[in-house]
Amino acid sequence: MTAPSIRKRLLGLLLLPAVLILIAGTLSDYFTALAPYRDAYDQALFDAALAISAHVRVGSGGQPTLSLPPDAIAILRYDSYDSIFFKVTTESGSFIAGDRDLPQLARESNNPARGFTRYHGESVRLVTYRAKGPTGLLDVSVAETLHKREHTRSRILLSSLAVDISQLSLVLVLIWIGVRLALGPLRSVEAQISRRSARDLTPLPRESIPTEIQGLVAELNRLFITVRATSDAQRRFLESAAHQLRTPLAGLQVQLELLTEDPTAAPVRERLAPLLEATQRLTHTTQQLLALARSDEAANLRWEFAQIDLQDIVESTVADRISAALTAGIDIGADTQPGAVQGVRWLLLEALSNLVNNSIAHTPAGGTVTVRCGTAGGTAFLEVSDSGIGIPVDERERVLGRFFRGSNARGAGSGLGLAIVAEVAQLHAATVSIDSGLGGKGTTVRIAFQPPGPQLNR
Amino acid sequence: MRVLVVEDDPLVGDGVRRALNGGGFAADLVSSAEAAKSALDTESFDLVIADIGLPRQDGLQLVRSLRNRGQIVPVLMLTARDGLEDRVKALDLGADDYLTKPFQVPELLARCRALIRRANSVANPRMVFGDLELDTTRKSVTAAGKAVELSQREWAILECLILNAGHIVSKNKLMSTIADWSEDLTLNAVEVYVSRVRAKLGGAALISTIRGLGYRIDEPRK
Repeated sequence: MTAPSIRKRLLGLLLLPAVLILIAGTLSDYFTALAPYRDAYDQALFDAALAISAHVRVGSGGQPTLSLPPDAIAILRYDSYDSIFFKVTTESGSFIAGDRDLPQLARESNNPARGFTRYHGESVRLVTYRAKGPTGLLDVSVAETLHKREHTRSRILLSSLAVDISQLSLVLVLIWIGVRLALGPLRSVEAQISRRSARDLTPLPRESIPTEIQGLVAELNRLFITVRATSDAQRRFLESAAHQLRTPLAGLQVQLELLTEDPTAAPVRERLAPLLEATQRLTHTTQQLLALARSDEAANLRWEFAQIDLQDIVESTVADRISAALTAGIDIGADTQPGAVQGVRWLLLEALSNLVNNSIAHTPAGGTVTVRCGTAGGTAFLEVSDSGIGIPVDERERVLGRFFRGSNARGAGSGLGLAIVAEVAQLHAATVSIDSGLGGKGTTVRIAFQPPGPQLNR
Repeated sequence: MRVLVVEDDPLVGDGVRRALNGGGFAADLVSSAEAAKSALDTESFDLVIADIGLPRQDGLQLVRSLRNRGQIVPVLMLTARDGLEDRVKALDLGADDYLTKPFQVPELLARCRALIRRANSVANPRMVFGDLELDTTRKSVTAAGKAVELSQREWAILECLILNAGHIVSKNKLMSTIADWSEDLTLNAVEVYVSRVRAKLGGAALISTIRGLGYRIDEPRK
């Protein structure tokens, strides 16, 4: 099903009547033009009948006869297109001259009577004229085949069709142009909206808006305001939630850490360790959920995208994760080539840091984790590869979903890390691909950005 | 070493104070920016740890007013918000570092030591890093009391790493530290010097190589 189109509707409503009117015009032109020709040809037949009737004389036996010489009859019968026939009879039907088997028209009020009939297997036009002869009334019939009439008729038809088709085309073009011009303001509003950044929620200016869609634009503006208010409220809520969650967690974690180390708490140390671990897991999940919520929010918000240097993102992330990597006995490194994207810095940091965390968690001591960035084939990319345990091929799609953990996942993960990566990538119009690492071992996750272009403004 | 902790959450404040005590610092705890200012007016501190989310005046306002009054004491900001704007703003206003809640105790202590060491390196020729003691005027080093013989360039590398402890120092930065006008140095030469320093220090300090980025020095884990 296609969406209703004002342009198609307008074109339909204007074109259909226009076409019908033009067809009616064509038919009327045709029939109007036909009548004079028919009358002219009939007049010629009538003239012939008149001429014939004038040459009926009283013959030797007192019978009426046609006194035309054969030459004159030949001239009468001559026509370059049609065959001409004639018959003269008395009122009572006694044959006087001409083609004996030519039918005659029944007597009607009209004189001469005109009509069509068939003669020798061909349609003919027949005129029967009742004239006064020397011995009484005569019926003179003259008929001709229809060739020149058909020829004239088709010429009239063709010329009216030619005129009317060109008229119709002209009207079509004019209507099409008119509709386009009339809908121009709609397209300029559309262009105005599409030029805006998707994060721009300021109301549309209403000065240049056509009256017909003022209401629509007003509603749109009201929606913009509502969305903005909602996302502002959402952001305030998330900020407050982040604060309310992190502060007690920070207190809990630092106190438990200190207690675990405290010699006076030695008798209960065994019970403290799992408490600390649970707190750390809770902290981690809270962080991930907040990040996910904020990236959701960022998707709806007028976050200003900025030019981001990927080398800087990689260096910050690696610097942040070195301690974790070194503690785990992992050789962490970077391979950075110049690369820049339009993006949100903290989201990219969050995504890359999740990838590095995953790699550290799933790479045994002695393994390597390498964080790369650069530009390949015109598109910038971020990539983390490790020599770890890898992700089974059939799980590579699903690990990007929320709360999904790979069947061989290690540690106390929340199942949100890669979901955050996927969200951040989507927000940056980037794609995430998961492959094996070097030599088919481990994992390589790559975030490939779009080449620079208008889609980055969306 | 004396640290002023400005934190309104009692659990976090008490935790930070205890952690600092455990790390060998003296710590005072106040719960508002106003109380922090009067404490700083009357006493002298080596470091201030301030929460951004304080009631009334927040931590950002505190840093601004400290810097406006010419107090150069290093400030470590704690924040429960993860908005980058906060961090950038904090550093712009004159904070020296920030840490996001929740944090881990060793991380907190490492940041505190680095900030104090950097602040003191200007005035104090004696610098302590774990078991290492550096004398910046005589350019001498001892590890657990025993002298370590370092060449001038090796010493410059060690000093540069320690002043940036906890952070990655790029090869280029190390190269410019040891380069003199007479000689062209290569990045490979930096690698050689770093590995010599590493060998001479033994276990007294950990110099990690971060492939593609540079080096980082850490105190050995006990």
